Amino acid sequence: MASAVAVVVATLLISFVLFFVAPRDPVGAVCGAKCPPERAAEIAASLHLDDPVPSQFGQYAWGIVAGRTITSGGTTVECAVPCLGYSYKLGQPVTALIADAAPVTFSIVLGAALVYLVVGVANGVVAARRRGSALDRLTVGGTLVLSSVPYFVVALVFALYVAGRVLPPSQYTSPLASPLGWASGLLAAWITLGLVNAAAYTRYSRASMIEALGEDFVRTARGKGISERRVVYRHALRAALGPVTTIFGIDLAAQLTGAIFTERIFGLPGLGTLTLNAFAQNDMPVIMGSVLVGAVLLVTLNLAVDLMYTVLDPRVRLG
Amino acid sequence: MEPVARVRAQTPETGSPTRIALRRLRRDPTALLCAGTVLFFVLVAVFAPLLAALAGQDPLTHHFELIDDGTSLPLVGMTPEHWFGVEPRLGRDLFARWAFGARPSLLVAAVATTVSTLVGVTVGLVAGFVGGRVDRVLSWLVDLVLSLPYLLFAIATPATLMAVVGLTPDDAEPSVVSEIRFYSLIIVLSTFGWAGLARLIRGEVLSLREREFIAAARVLGVPTRRVLTRELLPNLVAPIVVSVSMALPGYVVAEAGLTFLGVGLTEPTPSWGVTIASAVSAYESVPHYLWIPVLSVTALVLALSLLGDAVRDAFDPKTRR
Repeated sequence: MASAVAVVVATLLISFVLFFVAPRDPVGAVCGAKCPPERAAEIAASLHLDDPVPSQFGQYAWGIVAGRTITSGGTTVECAVPCLGYSYKLGQPVTALIADAAPVTFSIVLGAALVYLVVGVANGVVAARRRGSALDRLTVGGTLVLSSVPYFVVALVFALYVAGRVLPPSQYTSPLASPLGWASGLLAAWITLGLVNAAAYTRYSRASMIEALGEDFVRTARGKGISERRVVYRHALRAALGPVTTIFGIDLAAQLTGAIFTERIFGLPGLGTLTLNAFAQNDMPVIMGSVLVGAVLLVTLNLAVDLMYTVLDPRVRLG
Repeated sequence: MEPVARVRAQTPETGSPTRIALRRLRRDPTALLCAGTVLFFVLVAVFAPLLAALAGQDPLTHHFELIDDGTSLPLVGMTPEHWFGVEPRLGRDLFARWAFGARPSLLVAAVATTVSTLVGVTVGLVAGFVGGRVDRVLSWLVDLVLSLPYLLFAIATPATLMAVVGLTPDDAEPSVVSEIRFYSLIIVLSTFGWAGLARLIRGEVLSLREREFIAAARVLGVPTRRVLTRELLPNLVAPIVVSVSMALPGYVVAEAGLTFLGVGLTEPTPSWGVTIASAVSAYESVPHYLWIPVLSVTALVLALSLLGDAVRDAFDPKTRR
């Protein structure tokens, strides 16, 4: 817990130094090279860039927990809690931009998770039960090759040749407005991200299942005369899923901050696309906000996985 | 150590772990095929100017006479003058751009692997051997790096680096921007690459430092630096080689991927990532424009990762036959 907080504070410091202390001209970095002098002065005053550095950092950090007011183009903008800064390029608080993009990323990642968990675990169980067969060797070889091919290449081929032809064209509609439009627009992205990750989950669950099937309790269950189906799915699978759950938690956290390739290639306006567009326009406050939100998300989810693990496996205690 | 070596002499596989691994690799057809593929791309990258000269082309000259004015698509396919055809719009020679495009992938991967391996091994050795407060600080640093969102920092770093040198994308020369991006790629990949290896090495050192030969060396009064480099390091060859062989394909993908996203190298530098990104808009009319760099980067990465797997198996004592 303490280390998670330390990581968040360290990220806050790193991003602050990267964006406000390191640049030769912080106003130029925020506003651009052709920034009119009066606008530059306004930004400098609004962000207190003439104050000492520790005081600037204090104001930035305080803005996140208490909000702050920012002046832009003569009008005063109330930057509500948690204030991550203000995009002078887009004329919106960074928090609002991130709040708009977050549902897209969450939709992509959670839908894909469903695909790879179902496909991966099912494949892994089948391969483990027929260990050594041609089907097993094909599965293992196939997943090895698939996970060695660069992800952006697979996604690109899918986006160009499958989405819009075999599958509906990729786009984002709010699930509240049209649940069907939401699902069909994201289907291509789900299948791509899902199938590529399913390769890894096939290997995890195959290895984990082979180990579980060799355990004494499985032999006991078979000896008691329980049906093979029940032994595999009730007894062995339940034990085999433990390690898979842990990896899933870590992967989910990584994907929420790293679905950038999927979003860019399928043209979905999530957090990754927001950050890439901000990069293209040199919109520093947005990049800084995304980095911070990404770090907090990653740390929180990793902590949640650790806590979950103590619930799933009572032998584990957090140190 | 001597008697142990003599007992081992009766088993079929003898010599240091490195020598055993090399012998096993020489007998592995997959490893040889993959090594051949990697060597092919390394030669293409090294001799890119020669290959381009052989074809009589260079990667930067525009050939507007070969471009249709209306559609801006090339009028020629693969010809004896332009082996892979020309690019839509600017008409630059695709064979020369492909040959030169192999360079950044391999160069970035090689430099990033070298830097992250050196830093990772040093930090792991020091943290594991010195222990105490030094270990706590270094381990915390490793945890910090491993829990940061790498892709987001990969986007933030080039933007910041531009601001640090006082440039904005609007007024900087494209070649200067591309050079800054090159360094930023290496900084990002090295910064996020060393931590995993450092953790691995630290663990190995923790178990090795309690062994008799280390205790003997210390009793003999061997200086710490010598213990680290002469006693510990030779025992860490296997994890280091394995980690390098796994890191290389990762960095090749990272370079191509980040460049494809537009946060890596930029025009006019020839790079497979740049070509793939611009070929997406013409993938139906000029398929080879997209497919040549896509297949090249896939073949290189596939060969590197399968070679990495073979290296890991060759060093793994459990798979000794």
